[in-house]
Amino acid sequence: MTVHTLPKSTSAKTGNSLRGSLLAGRFLTYFILTLGLSFTLLPFVMMILSSFKTNVEVLRVPPTFWPENFTLDNYIKLFNDPKLPLLRFYGNSAFVAFFNVISTLFTSALIGYLFAKFEFPGKKILFGWFLTMMMIPTQITMIPSYLILAKLGLINSLWGLVIFSAVDAFGIFMIRQFCETLPNELMDAGRIDGASEWQIFIRIILPQLKPALATFGILHFMGSWNAYLWPMIVLQKVEVRTLPIILTWFNSTHTGQGALVMAATVLIMMPILLVFMFFQRWIVQGFTMSGFK
Amino acid sequence: MEAVVGNKKRSKGGLAISKGRFVLGVTIPLLLYEALGIFILGWAFALIFFDYSSGRVGGPFLGLGGSNPFVGLGHFVEMFSGTSVKASLFRMSLKNTLIFAFAILPLNLVVTLSLAYLLESIGNRFKALYRTIYFLPVLTSSVGVALIWMSMYDPQAGWINAIIRFFGGTPVSWLSDPRAGFLGVPVAMWAVILAYLWQDYGYNMVIFIAALQNIPQELKDAALIDGASPWQTFTRITIPLIQPTLLFVCVMTMLSSFQVFDIIQVMTNGDPGNKTQVLMLDIYKNAFRYQNLGWAAAESFVLFLIVMGVTIFQMRVLRTDWEY
Repeated sequence: MTVHTLPKSTSAKTGNSLRGSLLAGRFLTYFILTLGLSFTLLPFVMMILSSFKTNVEVLRVPPTFWPENFTLDNYIKLFNDPKLPLLRFYGNSAFVAFFNVISTLFTSALIGYLFAKFEFPGKKILFGWFLTMMMIPTQITMIPSYLILAKLGLINSLWGLVIFSAVDAFGIFMIRQFCETLPNELMDAGRIDGASEWQIFIRIILPQLKPALATFGILHFMGSWNAYLWPMIVLQKVEVRTLPIILTWFNSTHTGQGALVMAATVLIMMPILLVFMFFQRWIVQGFTMSGFK
Repeated sequence: MEAVVGNKKRSKGGLAISKGRFVLGVTIPLLLYEALGIFILGWAFALIFFDYSSGRVGGPFLGLGGSNPFVGLGHFVEMFSGTSVKASLFRMSLKNTLIFAFAILPLNLVVTLSLAYLLESIGNRFKALYRTIYFLPVLTSSVGVALIWMSMYDPQAGWINAIIRFFGGTPVSWLSDPRAGFLGVPVAMWAVILAYLWQDYGYNMVIFIAALQNIPQELKDAALIDGASPWQTFTRITIPLIQPTLLFVCVMTMLSSFQVFDIIQVMTNGDPGNKTQVLMLDIYKNAFRYQNLGWAAAESFVLFLIVMGVTIFQMRVLRTDWEY
């Protein structure tokens, strides 16, 4: 605490001009930060306001800021469009996200635990090999993966999005890191009580991993929800598509209806923004952790 | 005593067995999964030597050979010296990708580092709020981001041209004018750069903020007492101390901008006149629209080599061997 007060006391000792320039600096800091903040927020504000305008009003030059005739028509239209079964598309996205998150959480926990707490021959080689494989970017694996899915008849199947994403290097890394902080006594206690290794993993280790799994699960959920390229390759029929692909399809089939498209955009972003609002601290922390392994 | 020791030994042996069984139970499926990974990688590597199209039946093994003939390094020769449309489109995509990535990196660093530095210097309550809001676009679906910015760039009703008109300038067809440019880069490219930057800066900011928080306050105070100006403190104290983070951020930003796809595919799909066609988009179109999978695989291989090269170069230049 004393450390933090030091700059203040030195500035108090110096003259008025310095204090003035510090004040100006503080003002400038807030000014720049708020400017950046407005730049960040404005597109969102514009999107939300546009979604309450009529399709005629969004085409007006110069554009109106506040909706002249505040209307919910766009949202009503979206939910009543028989060609756009929105709930079905939410369902598709939720299905893919759910299975992606469940499978990667399980594999990350298990493999992370294995690499953190067990010694076995070839462990280092296996881990290194594993990470190298995981670093190979999608554009390399995307074409053969697509050909395999085509051979298996999984094109246009939501399962096609799940099977190749069941293992995640970042997740394994994160859980391994976390597992290393757990005391070995936890497992030993279980062993003395006669629990099998699987029981130890499920009954003792998994509950300990909850915070790490939650953070990673939320991040992975958002990644899955927003994924675009791979779902677009795999899901070619309209009715099996996930939300981001539906959104571009909807945009290209509703040209000149800007307000409607913005309403659709709001609806598709909503789940993510809600998740963010509830789990904000964990999410930011998770992203930071990914930066420092 | 004897019996106890014997018992202990046996239970130790039993423990080793049950541990071993667990290890095998996890590693065997893992190895199988990895084998699949190797198979995929091998297939990707094989494809670059073939003129492969998923529309043709081809040879018995993975459809390679036969009507999907072996071309050796033909794809690469064609890419860098050929005159075909796809070869010149590849070179254009490569150039555009480099423009994109090398514009993003400095812009992103300047914006994120300075905003993070300013944010780190203010009171705690505001800090959390600002950070949250700056982070919002990172979580937003890039398709959504693209659509929002498309409406902002609209030549008639878009906000950006409205602001330009307000100040008496001439409106620009941001996403469709092939001739208009700035600093030799087409405006459409600047338009997607700005949208991408907007979506991306929150991520690096959060990472920089975490790094800045780790700098011991004593060092900054010492600099202040020694009469260093804020700029000197920033360049002589802050920058060297966050160098590992800086390296990480540079590498990650470069990697993701070399592989940009979503925003550009939605906003311009490579137009106007292929001026925003980037490599990922070219790979996607060749593979899944024109069924030129061998060519696309060769292109992704080139992209992979570039990304690797840039990463290794940055690691060499920015690496530090010390800690504080």
